Amino acid sequence: MSDTEPQTDFDPIEPNTGREFEPVDVFPATEEFDLRPGADSCFKCSACDTSCPVAEVDDDFPGPKFQGPEQWRLKRREGHEIDDSVMSCSNCMRCDDACPSGVPLSQMHNTARGEYVEEQMSKTSVEYWRNRVLSNYRTSAFLASKVPRLANVTMNFGPARWLMEKTMGVTAEREFPAFASTTFREWWAERGGADESRRRARAHRERRGLDRDADKRVAYFHGCYSNYNTTEVGKAMVRVYERYGYEVVAPEQKCSGTPMFANGMLADARRHAEVNVSSMADLVEQGYDAIASCTSCSMALRQEYPELFDIDGIETVAANTFESIEYLRIHEDLKADVREARVSGDLAREFAYHAPCHARNQGLERQSVELFGDLEGAGIEDVGDSCSGISGTYGWKEEKYETSMAIGEEMFDHMAAADGEVGMTECPTCAMQMEHGTGYEIRHPLELLEEALVENPRSEP
Amino acid sequence: MGSPPHIAVIGGGSTGAGIARDLSMRGLDVTLVEQGNLTHGTTGRMHGLLHSGGRYAVSDRASARECIEENRVLREIATHCVEMTGGLFVKRPEDDEEYFQEKLRGCRTCGIPAEVVSGAEARAMEPHLAKDVEKAISVPDGAVDPFRLVVANAASAIEHGARIETHSTVRDVLIEEDEVIGLEVEHASGAGERVHGKEGGREEIRADYVVNATGAWAGRIGEMAGVDIEVRPSKGVMTIMNVRQVDTVINRCRPKGDADIVVPHETTAILGTTDEEVEDPEEYPEERWEVDMMIETLSELVPMLEDARTIRSFWGVRPLYEPPEVGSTDPTDITRDYFLLDHAERDDLEGMTSIVGGKFTTYRMMGEEISDHVCSQFGIDAECHTAEIPLPGSEDFTVLRDYMDEFGLRSPIGRRSVERLGSRADEVLNTSDPNPTVCTCEGVTRAEIQDAIAGSGSDLNAVRIRTRASMGNCQGGFCCHRLAGELHGEYDESTARAAWDGLLEERWKGQRHALWGEQLSQAALNYALQATTQNRDRDPADGDPVDFSAFDGGVGADGGSGTAGVATDGGPRDGD
Amino acid sequence: MAIESEVLVVGGGLAGLTSALAAAREGADVRLVSYKQSSLRHASGLVDLLGYTSDGEGPIVDPYAAMPGLPDDHPYRTVGVETVREAMALFDNVTDYRGDHTDANALVPTHGGTIKPTARYPAGAAAGLASDDRNVLLVGIESMTDFDAPQAAAHLEAAGVPFDVRGETIRFPGDLRADAKVTRYAKLLDANGEVAVRGRTRGARDALAERVNTVHGNEQRVGFPAVLGDQRTDAVRGALEDRIGTDVFEVPMGPPSLPGLRLEEALFEALEESGASVETGNPVVDFDAEGGEIETVYIEKNGALIPNRADQYVLATGGLVGKGIESDRDSVREPVFDCHVAHADDRYEWFDGDAFGDHPFAQFGVETDETLRPLAADGRVEFENLRAAGSVLGGYDFAAEKSGSGVSIATGYVAGNTAATEVR
Repeated sequence: MSDTEPQTDFDPIEPNTGREFEPVDVFPATEEFDLRPGADSCFKCSACDTSCPVAEVDDDFPGPKFQGPEQWRLKRREGHEIDDSVMSCSNCMRCDDACPSGVPLSQMHNTARGEYVEEQMSKTSVEYWRNRVLSNYRTSAFLASKVPRLANVTMNFGPARWLMEKTMGVTAEREFPAFASTTFREWWAERGGADESRRRARAHRERRGLDRDADKRVAYFHGCYSNYNTTEVGKAMVRVYERYGYEVVAPEQKCSGTPMFANGMLADARRHAEVNVSSMADLVEQGYDAIASCTSCSMALRQEYPELFDIDGIETVAANTFESIEYLRIHEDLKADVREARVSGDLAREFAYHAPCHARNQGLERQSVELFGDLEGAGIEDVGDSCSGISGTYGWKEEKYETSMAIGEEMFDHMAAADGEVGMTECPTCAMQMEHGTGYEIRHPLELLEEALVENPRSEP
Repeated sequence: MGSPPHIAVIGGGSTGAGIARDLSMRGLDVTLVEQGNLTHGTTGRMHGLLHSGGRYAVSDRASARECIEENRVLREIATHCVEMTGGLFVKRPEDDEEYFQEKLRGCRTCGIPAEVVSGAEARAMEPHLAKDVEKAISVPDGAVDPFRLVVANAASAIEHGARIETHSTVRDVLIEEDEVIGLEVEHASGAGERVHGKEGGREEIRADYVVNATGAWAGRIGEMAGVDIEVRPSKGVMTIMNVRQVDTVINRCRPKGDADIVVPHETTAILGTTDEEVEDPEEYPEERWEVDMMIETLSELVPMLEDARTIRSFWGVRPLYEPPEVGSTDPTDITRDYFLLDHAERDDLEGMTSIVGGKFTTYRMMGEEISDHVCSQFGIDAECHTAEIPLPGSEDFTVLRDYMDEFGLRSPIGRRSVERLGSRADEVLNTSDPNPTVCTCEGVTRAEIQDAIAGSGSDLNAVRIRTRASMGNCQGGFCCHRLAGELHGEYDESTARAAWDGLLEERWKGQRHALWGEQLSQAALNYALQATTQNRDRDPADGDPVDFSAFDGGVGADGGSGTAGVATDGGPRDGD
Repeated sequence: MAIESEVLVVGGGLAGLTSALAAAREGADVRLVSYKQSSLRHASGLVDLLGYTSDGEGPIVDPYAAMPGLPDDHPYRTVGVETVREAMALFDNVTDYRGDHTDANALVPTHGGTIKPTARYPAGAAAGLASDDRNVLLVGIESMTDFDAPQAAAHLEAAGVPFDVRGETIRFPGDLRADAKVTRYAKLLDANGEVAVRGRTRGARDALAERVNTVHGNEQRVGFPAVLGDQRTDAVRGALEDRIGTDVFEVPMGPPSLPGLRLEEALFEALEESGASVETGNPVVDFDAEGGEIETVYIEKNGALIPNRADQYVLATGGLVGKGIESDRDSVREPVFDCHVAHADDRYEWFDGDAFGDHPFAQFGVETDETLRPLAADGRVEFENLRAAGSVLGGYDFAAEKSGSGVSIATGYVAGNTAATEVR
């Protein structure tokens, strides 16, 4: 556990006992997810509605207050249908971030959506199968990564896309992301895996004057996208962490479940969650912290898992999961190091930064802007607090495409008005939307951090 | 054949409305007068339990038999008022096993279907039941909406020619030569008093016969008629939870005691109750200990109640009666049976009968018996049909299907609305105009509000009991002004404003007993909305004239802000 | 190690934002942590100073002149009238609000049809002042139940306003669903999105103006419910003014409140420009104190406690509405630092019997010394380096007095300034 670090009194394993802030605490573990008591917290202030990016562009969506506490309160335990508008919720979870009263909004939405898909959606419908295929991105990506070049060509091949739209309702407006020729895990294995990481971490510790055997160990939850598509993000994470003396492991993992929650595929999500929790829980027991570079992945491990599933060890994993930069900001003097650093070359640019909704929910929306504000050679500008609109698989659905783009319009406008012509965000699907709407290249903050601290180690001790 | 006899019924509760319906269906000419709204008295202040009879299966088997009989009748004729939740008599470890067995035998003796279920089975039905509940008896208890039931009875009576006068107080019982010949009634008037039926002034209502169905208030009418009616009003508290913690009626299986029942009622659960004799059915203390006792004692059955949100508490007064010679000292020992007091036999006063005691579940049976009695006074041989003919709203329940697509409402709102309206749903909800939700807590749309206004006039409390608008977690905080807006148009602004105030005050009254935790925050938010934003607490329209010229009239010389014609470029406001 | 700053402000409402802004402008390194959205989104977006005395006298014409007459323990008395003026100057400096040309209150019509006294109002409400004698047309939207224009117009007349006022209800062009949110209307007007009207497609602003023109008579100003845009509200209002040919104003309403939302956004932007760091979404749940000073506070994230450390702290977590004050059946408390909150033992003494009575609960909050440091029950300072601002303060009934925003701004300003001075 990182509490052995000499310079910190931070104890992430400290349980938050007796607090009232955790909405799930009020629900006893029942099999059927009766969330009606969650409506007790709602005092109708409508802050959730004003934060909903879908309701402001689509009046068929009645907003999170209706969708959450009102619908649950009106619901009877049996014989009550879920309003079909729940499928229009994009699961951005901004309502969670808005609610001053601790109503478990996204938990209500996720549960209602699961119930709707389970009980009211036809299992033979195209929509159901399209949603299952989209939400099981990992499976598609796994297959595609076996033949990346072929996949890159055929997936975006015009007639194929036309067919996908017509038969499956996957919008032809978007380009599928490119698959890396070598996955992150392949790179990782080739590099020597955990043993090599330990070796490098020790070398860095020695250089930094730390105890060679300092207990600085993290388990990397890279997620699907860093593995199959933007492998440079995963590599940056590893290099930055090693530089600070952390040993990295990349345990067995499946999809975080984010796209499945959004599609009401709770059984699928649970299967994946079981694998993830089991492999992370073991490591957390041994003193590792779980680190994700995708803010939706960290959101899933931290909040959605414990809200939706009752899996052994889930609370411990949730309490020990962090976003990659957040963790360093807590444990290292990251701000000072960045202030000392300088970047040049490819990343010496002005960035138009968009904070993903799921980052916002973890309190990370200002992190990158505040961190890189003082970085020499690069500039960063926040493009405002709007939602990108893609919300994972949402914007890939033909019938949601226009809504998705309407939501994104504010962000596109602000990106265009910003100085930078390169975008930056933590979330891979926000990145897709940013690129789709502006044509900008989009980078991850870890890449800039790597450039500042590893490639140009002016401040290296 | 001459014109039918004219019967005046006093009291707009379940009994009075039931009698009015029965008599008018038998062809008699009926006028019902009620001092407040329908259900103003005890009926509007009960826990909404449709008894299976199980509660009386040990102590009062005659009542138990009547209950199960009427329970079956109401399920048929009042489908849209009843939710068959089922009920459980649960036994905790400290509760007496002997009594449990006696309860079971009693139910079976009285023809009440009763099964023993294990603690685990009970918790499978109701997951929030305490872990140490040992076992339970399941019985066909249900939930009934007393407001809807009484309104439907009144509507049926009106269909059969009856006249229903609310906000009409009996000032005197008119007597000539030892015979009651009518009533002197004062109808409320003015913007503060709502309009329904006849507005304003006194009226002498001549009647061939008078039925006093005023429950706990029966003694007052008796006084006016110079007869002695010893009703023994007994108060009981009911605490309303914000959501349903249980979907089955939960009774504690023990002999008698306070705080032994939780009734799922519409969106809420109602905890009950206490039993304390009071002097006056209108003036009695409403005390903190009663609310605390509901929560603490019933938490033994459903532990999550301890920290759950309550939205209000209210007290009802049971119109208990026992013949003076019985002399029970404890009100819980007084029978729940009803008594028909024919004042001719009893007091040598012709032309009037009082009905006292009894309970809500058997209201129809009471109505039938007194209607038989009234008819016999006039030698009329008309059969009672109230047990077979469904109430308005319950005639045809196929409408419950397909409600959603038909009315374009969100699923739970459409569902709730159709459940309330029953077979009237189509007539009420089928509108081509926009039909926004006015009360978002209870899912009440404009069409339903407008229908209620058409039925009840400018009293928003009457609209409330018809629709449940303002009965949810915000307790009217967010919809009182909207409801006033719905009134305006049909009624002028001052009437709408007075009704708005009236509803706010009524909602505040019950909410005061729930002011801690979430509900105190809710009250503070409501207060901020109404007082800060709307300035309703110091509304200049209600107060002294304001010198407008002393205040800021804007920057421009003409008082205008001079913003016309500025930037129309549509660009972002700020350069981010 | 902890996340560090010189001044840490807990709470992101009007008081917290003002104190962070005041401290940052004094050169302090400021961090603001806010759990969830503040009550700015519920409130009307009007900035009240003082509309009625504590005895209910009013409406007050000059709020500054009335402040010295308030009870001794009123927050305005604690900070003093001149400080209130300085604080308002800061507010005026960072927002585009009107009303600073005079000390007099303005009377603004709100969505119930009542007028209320306020000190500052958004530009969008400027043409709606009740002391302006130009005639008014109020336009309501058929499916928007919060604002009934004919009723509001009649209500204004009942208050004796010095102009003729009429209300008309129209259907919003484009057949939005009946339960469309206010943000939907605003966004549609912001984007001037296309709406279909009798088979023709056109911009929402034009289509709305055209509908209004069919009911508009000779009134010189037209009022709408406050849904006229979010990001581009000036442009939306301007376009309507052009096409209707009169001044246009918004009638504040809420919750939810777009004017409140806009104000919140403007203040956050000003704060970001000031260089303060901001984190939202997670609560402060614990703290360490030593020698009467707060050393570290802990922010909870899904079970993990993240330490944040500063030299000076500001508590601006709100009142009962903002959940900066909490209660149960037996007691009332301030949940973050457990500062003393005076209250009667019996909860039946927390309220008045009338809905608009003199409610003790409305005055629940912490008591402070003259530098806004919360006081314990025995009158000692709770923590040397903690100041409180806004609705978490007791001793005033913001709803009855119409003083909420002003107290938040004034006490936020003092708390932030003092904290910044302490770290210098």
